[in-house]
Amino acid sequence: MDTILYLAHTEADGTLGKAAYEALTAAKTLAGELGGAFVAGLIGTDVSPAAGTLGVDKVLGVSGAEYAVSRYATDAAAAAALVEASGATTVVAAGTPRFSRALPGVAARLDGRIETHVTALAADGDAVQCERWFYRQRMVAKLSRAQRPWFLLTSAGAFEPAPAASGAASVEDVAVSLEAADLRTTVTGIEAAAAEAQTIRPDAELLLVAGAGWTKKQKDGTTHVKEASELVLGFLDRTKASLGSSKSLVDQGAEGAEVMSFMSHLNQVGQTGSTPRHRKGLATCCHGEEPHVVGWRFITERRAINLDASCGWAQGKADVLYVADAFEVMAKVNALLGADS
Amino acid sequence: MESDTVVRQRLDVDIACVGFGPASGGFLTTLSRGLADNPGEIQSAAVPGMPPQVVCYERADDLGFGVSGVVTKAEAIRETFPDLDPAAIPMAAPVTGEKVVYLLDPIGASRRGRAVRAADAVLRGLRFMLPVRDHALTLPFIPGFLRKDDGLVLGMGQFTQWVASGLMAEAQVQLWPGTPVAEPLIEDDAVVGVRLVDQGTNLAGEPEPGYLPGMDIGAALTVVADGPVGPIGRKLDERFGVPANHDRSDWAVGMKAVVDLPPDCALEPGTVLHTMGYPEPEIFGFLYVHSPGLASLGIFVPSSLDSPVRASYRYLQHWMRHPYLWKHLEGGRLRSWGAKSLQESGRQGEPHLVGDGYARIGEGSGSTNVLTNSGVDEAWATGVQLAEAVLELLREGAPFSRENLERTYVARRRGSALDRESTIAAKARVGFRRGFVRGVVGMGLAGMTRGRLHARVGSGPRIAGLAEHYKGRIPAEQIARIEAEASSSQRPLQDAYMDAAGWPAIPFDGELLVSQQDALLLGGKVQAPPGYADHVVVLDPAQCATCETHLCVNICSGQALTWDADRGVPLFEREKCVHCGACQWSCPAPREAGHDAAAIALEAGAGGLHSAEN
Amino acid sequence: MTDGFHVVVCASLVPDPIQTLEPVLAGGQPALKNEAMLPSVLDPWAACALYEAAHLAANAPGSKVWLVSLGPKAKLQQLMMQVAQKVPFELVALDGPASGFTDSFEVAAALAAAIEGIDGLDRSRMLLFGGCASASRDAGVTVQMVGERLGIHDQFFAVDELAVQGDGSIRVLERAEGGRYLASVCAGAPLVAAWATGSLPEPPNSPQVGMQNMRTIMPALAQAKPAALGGDGTTWLSAEVPQQRRETRIVKDSSADEIAQEIVDWIKG
Repeated sequence: MDTILYLAHTEADGTLGKAAYEALTAAKTLAGELGGAFVAGLIGTDVSPAAGTLGVDKVLGVSGAEYAVSRYATDAAAAAALVEASGATTVVAAGTPRFSRALPGVAARLDGRIETHVTALAADGDAVQCERWFYRQRMVAKLSRAQRPWFLLTSAGAFEPAPAASGAASVEDVAVSLEAADLRTTVTGIEAAAAEAQTIRPDAELLLVAGAGWTKKQKDGTTHVKEASELVLGFLDRTKASLGSSKSLVDQGAEGAEVMSFMSHLNQVGQTGSTPRHRKGLATCCHGEEPHVVGWRFITERRAINLDASCGWAQGKADVLYVADAFEVMAKVNALLGADS
Repeated sequence: MESDTVVRQRLDVDIACVGFGPASGGFLTTLSRGLADNPGEIQSAAVPGMPPQVVCYERADDLGFGVSGVVTKAEAIRETFPDLDPAAIPMAAPVTGEKVVYLLDPIGASRRGRAVRAADAVLRGLRFMLPVRDHALTLPFIPGFLRKDDGLVLGMGQFTQWVASGLMAEAQVQLWPGTPVAEPLIEDDAVVGVRLVDQGTNLAGEPEPGYLPGMDIGAALTVVADGPVGPIGRKLDERFGVPANHDRSDWAVGMKAVVDLPPDCALEPGTVLHTMGYPEPEIFGFLYVHSPGLASLGIFVPSSLDSPVRASYRYLQHWMRHPYLWKHLEGGRLRSWGAKSLQESGRQGEPHLVGDGYARIGEGSGSTNVLTNSGVDEAWATGVQLAEAVLELLREGAPFSRENLERTYVARRRGSALDRESTIAAKARVGFRRGFVRGVVGMGLAGMTRGRLHARVGSGPRIAGLAEHYKGRIPAEQIARIEAEASSSQRPLQDAYMDAAGWPAIPFDGELLVSQQDALLLGGKVQAPPGYADHVVVLDPAQCATCETHLCVNICSGQALTWDADRGVPLFEREKCVHCGACQWSCPAPREAGHDAAAIALEAGAGGLHSAEN
Repeated sequence: MTDGFHVVVCASLVPDPIQTLEPVLAGGQPALKNEAMLPSVLDPWAACALYEAAHLAANAPGSKVWLVSLGPKAKLQQLMMQVAQKVPFELVALDGPASGFTDSFEVAAALAAAIEGIDGLDRSRMLLFGGCASASRDAGVTVQMVGERLGIHDQFFAVDELAVQGDGSIRVLERAEGGRYLASVCAGAPLVAAWATGSLPEPPNSPQVGMQNMRTIMPALAQAKPAALGGDGTTWLSAEVPQQRRETRIVKDSSADEIAQEIVDWIKG
């Protein structure tokens, strides 16, 4: 029978992020289905406030200034200590950047195994079944393992976040012996990406994807990159949408073609880019080929604007395809949105 | 011609090959074995103390050159690999059954002349007595010259990959994909090596940050195996001229696909199917089954198809939809697609085979036998012949002069069965210039009489204007309207004409029947690596300004060329070009005597098709 | 720090991401359909790591770059034809499957063992590079596990920039949420960097680099040891490409005004 350890780290302000509450749902549900023990473990400067929001009586904690920052050596030491102290055989945690960095190494340290991008968990008798994705979100598989400890990092948005409980929980401090070597790395701060405008908004309801068609020659035989940029930025301004791009558009920047300067490879969706989660997505001037569209895996409502009526979006990849000139339509969309705000 | 300030790096090798296909495969395999048999016997002249440095430069990203299925007798190939087991090569299968099928027109849109229509009517009338089913007549016998008994069906990409792994294992030669060769290096009328394409330029070829001028590779022997539309071959022709009576006006686009056959398809691996007669009488088709459920198929759209609107892709789809074929294909899935030019003049299109410092092998050297429709084995054979010659000369310590190459390579080639066969084939296909019936009759005569009888026609430009071509089918005013509408909406013209001529719309299913742009993306997107100049260039804008037919645009396999009405030139998009070269030979610009001088040229470019399914 | 770095890059081949990929579950083990036939490329993020490694090595005299690659030997050979012309490196090859369904723990063990066996590798000067995820297994865990096995506790994930500062310390930028970066400074080697795209373009092909690399690549391939994989206790229940086919409504003959209004209503709805 597995003992489930739920693992989370606090954010800078001592609270737990949304992803942590999503992982909490996953962990508690799994523990409930298995009927085994459930232990919660927290890492941070001071974990007491967060401990009370978990809806449990007791929490294992690793606290201290060294754990305020996102750093492999200290995070790994803390997590390993919590796993050992809890006697857990299965660890469920959110796949935050901090844990994505540290927990794989912890799994190796403890001779365990690890799955990431987990989107579902279920119990089948005593066995734990995990659903995760492969080949850049193109395939999904269900598996279970015999080896322990088994680390499961949940994918953002895959589970409903547990409501934060109110109350207090007792924190049992777990000792971690750090060495000087664990403090060779100093975190110096957060920096904004060197882009003129901040266009990536993971929490936006809407994703706008701008494809290579925006910077190609139009009907009149010339490119209209400046106008394209204004239309895209204008739309983002009015809707606070997040901006994505296709690989083709990102590559054009590398080729030295005239591009929209506020876009970089960080905006890329699909292929080697991201698979963002948004309720709505609007694809403009983008063909809708499979490697790009796999990045749309978690976009619920999809619409596209493209001059080509038989582009990929028409073949079942979008809910609605508007066969039209994006320059014209987006100008009018911006006008309608601008009129209201 | 070039600024003195460009500093090019230089590398010296012994032998430089341009292009990796069956010809280079035959050459390098034979040479490799010869060098490995007696290590140390032959020393490098370029790098003293080392074994001979033999390098092959291929412009495509991968050595699996992307255009799928062939059927071949594989005689020369099996001579090189006596223990060849088809099971060791993906997509290879022994031929188990062959059919030649004449397809009737079930729709009525194809432009059949009176003779053909009459023949069709007779066939339909006699269908209860003849094997006519599903609007097709299966020929009760296969002419000997077409048969491929004991042959193999192969996926070209898989075959070249397999040959390449063998070469790498021997470690006598080096293969470098992703390395296009821009031009031959010539000094005092001798070829002294090759120059690679500049990297780090903009689309016009102008240096950008990161500019790396293409290296000069010095070589005592340059082996030119870059195919029928290869730029190095073409540049040698321009520089050294071509033999008298050289004629290279017959071409075809082979547009091919690899498909997953529907689950209930009963076609066995090794099935070879050849068709003719539909969607236009001049269009030949093929279908080869490689393994259970996997087939390659396609059509050849010849230059003798006197249509100013050569919608190859649309024709391919109509061909697939012919009842005889559709019964096997419906429910299938397109895995990959590609296109390539075939040089249909065969022996008549032979260039100078050798010169000081160079030799030509493969399809670009006119080795294809257009009567038997075979090129792979022939190309391989020329590579073997050259390798034997090269080994002979290396052992003698003799230079790679024209005379020496003639007495060793050309002599071997002329004395071979290949040469005998291709002389017979020489005039076989000429008849097609004056119509399908004449062509078939001509081929048949030539084939069955071993070349003693064949159709005789004159040469010359044949492309009818649009109005003339569609006379009786589409009124002139409608043609004018289609042109106007198509140019304002950027829709491909080809579809508009095909629609107007009575061809039904293709019902896209997203699986087997997809839009042309989707085909470009399916199973491997066209690669257009950054930092390279456009490789399809307009040489003579003045010619383009007066062009009425825009054939290059209409025949472009990937829709990479569109017409810029304002400037009167074709516009090129690298990301769609599959390097088929049809633009080059379709150009109707007047030809100067002695060599082809089209207004548009296919230069060496990196990238192009990149699909596993070959 | 004047003696340069020993940069070890873990990078393997993946099927070219633009191919059609389908899983098949055969004998309880998932694999890609026709995997042997698919053209391979160097794993995209790991390739970025390799180019960054070469760039770093070129600017730190005394440095050296190794490429440690686990994959089917024949495919590695083909891959080298593409990669060898890019940057100078010495190849350490392991013969084994490169499928995304192999177990990261086992792969990490094989890679770590191979790295421990590299002749002349100075672990105190080592920078272990790799991609932050592969285009195959796409778990984003292997490089960290290799680093942990080699005893390196300074690890960085989703790196876009790594720079050696005047005092020999190393500044690293890792991708954080919302398009921002986390900046850290590490006292020096050894460290682990699992790269995202970095900031360098793909290097052009250089025949000279290629010929130079080939001299060590061919023997390395010939000596490639088999990697012991497949002892893992995973039970695979299913592997599939989720079918997502919507009933697309194609709006063709509406005016831009009508379309714009419909879109705005949808955005607000």
